[in-house]
Amino acid sequence: MLNRVVHLLPLELKAVLEKLPETALAQLEEIRIREGRPLELGLRGQSRFAGTDGTLRMTADGAYKPTGDICRKLLERITNYSLYAMEEELKRGFITVAGGHRIGLAGRTVLDSGSVRGIRDIGAFNIRIAREVIGSANHLLPKLLDRSRKSIYSTLILAPPQQGKTTLVRDLARSISYGLWGQGEGAGWQGRKVGVVDERSEIAACVRGIPTFDIGPRTDVMDACPKAEGIMMLLRSMSPEIVVADEIGRDEDGEAIREASHAGVSVVATAHAYDVQDALGRPVLRRLLEDGSFQQIVELRRTTAGFMHRIISAESAIRSPAAREPTAVLTAASTSTFRRSGADPAPVESGLQRGGAT
Amino acid sequence: MIKLLGAVLILFAGTLIGFQQAARFAARPRQLRQLAHALQRLETEIGYGHTPLPEALGRIATVVPSPIADLFLLAAEGVAHDDGLSFRESWEQAMKQGWEATAMRAGEQAVMLRLGSALGISDKDDQLKHLKLALLQLKAEEDAAKEDQGRYEKMWKSLGVLIAVLVVILMV
Repeated sequence: MLNRVVHLLPLELKAVLEKLPETALAQLEEIRIREGRPLELGLRGQSRFAGTDGTLRMTADGAYKPTGDICRKLLERITNYSLYAMEEELKRGFITVAGGHRIGLAGRTVLDSGSVRGIRDIGAFNIRIAREVIGSANHLLPKLLDRSRKSIYSTLILAPPQQGKTTLVRDLARSISYGLWGQGEGAGWQGRKVGVVDERSEIAACVRGIPTFDIGPRTDVMDACPKAEGIMMLLRSMSPEIVVADEIGRDEDGEAIREASHAGVSVVATAHAYDVQDALGRPVLRRLLEDGSFQQIVELRRTTAGFMHRIISAESAIRSPAAREPTAVLTAASTSTFRRSGADPAPVESGLQRGGAT
Repeated sequence: MIKLLGAVLILFAGTLIGFQQAARFAARPRQLRQLAHALQRLETEIGYGHTPLPEALGRIATVVPSPIADLFLLAAEGVAHDDGLSFRESWEQAMKQGWEATAMRAGEQAVMLRLGSALGISDKDDQLKHLKLALLQLKAEEDAAKEDQGRYEKMWKSLGVLIAVLVVILMV
């Protein structure tokens, strides 16, 4: 995983990371660099500190501490020596670089009449290594098919951060675009036109408008575009049959999605939420579910064994959130149980059936 | 016969030296003007195009003639190679390496080095301010260079011939 982002790192930092054991580097997901503080690594959800001698430590004692000079060089490299070209990104607090890797930034913000204009004195970086998992939607897609339209139902994918939402929607877009509907009744269907609104440049990782991830031959990408506007633009200009958007949540996103789903376009969107109840607590998502803009909800969890999906029909979620059918599907063979948080303290054991989406 | 040949050679050499010196005085304001054009172009690339610096420098190098273009190419190449240079280091290296080939002097080099320490590390408004300042300073250098050109260009042209003539006369 390290070799994908190594070109971004200053030489000193690269030397420290390259000393780490191979097995650790293969699991690398996040590199967290804080000026003058220990270098933290995220390895499959676990936090470790890196020592100068190539060891991984549980505690911060004796870990390698990047200097201010290294942080400045890192900033130069991730901004391509052009901070002035990154004003929008600095306002949002992250930069997406070629390959779809997202680098979160923290530091002292610059305010302009109360709203954030940018960040200066950047002292903390979080490099999230993007991974393209081709086939990660293979088990999910056959369960989302809309037989009458030979397409896919409007689907909302829910998960907390770092659970693989983006990876999943990217693969969904790719599969739909290629027409890889899986075995079963969808097998002979042709691919559909997909429009991707990629506000954070994470789904397609466009470099100068051209996707660097394989997102399929029938896919158009509106890169770095606000979701609401992007959806409307795609609807007007590219006649998509499926619109894909990442991390919806604002009021205008809801408006645009409602517009799209009532125009006969299926919407596949992700949102930050732990589960359905969580999502119903967010007014925008609740309204979208209530007025039927989404027909299906997918809860996504990543366990040590792999991705787990649970598919819930939007209707039943609205009617009685507590009594929905536990139809979970495991992509990786495992027998983990799927616990639900919230008011209900009793863990819900999930069935492991592979068919029968609600 | 040989004496005559020697005299002709000396005259030729003297004239050449004189013309070369004169050409340096003529080249300096011209190159300063080209450098100013290049920076104006950079201003546009940064201000309107939001073009990343290495790419902007590459584009500038295609629109200005050679010794000036090489300065920008060298600076862009320095950060393209993976040897851990910061932009300021790469820029300084380029200004020092490429400067030999130009007719420009230390004054304008200092302007460029100062500019290099600010390029790329701040927001657009600040970048444009630094570029404006550098352009003003280059303008002042260009005026001085023009004055020098008026004063010394003709002088060197005739001085070369005259010295050569003097040497020939002394030798005969």
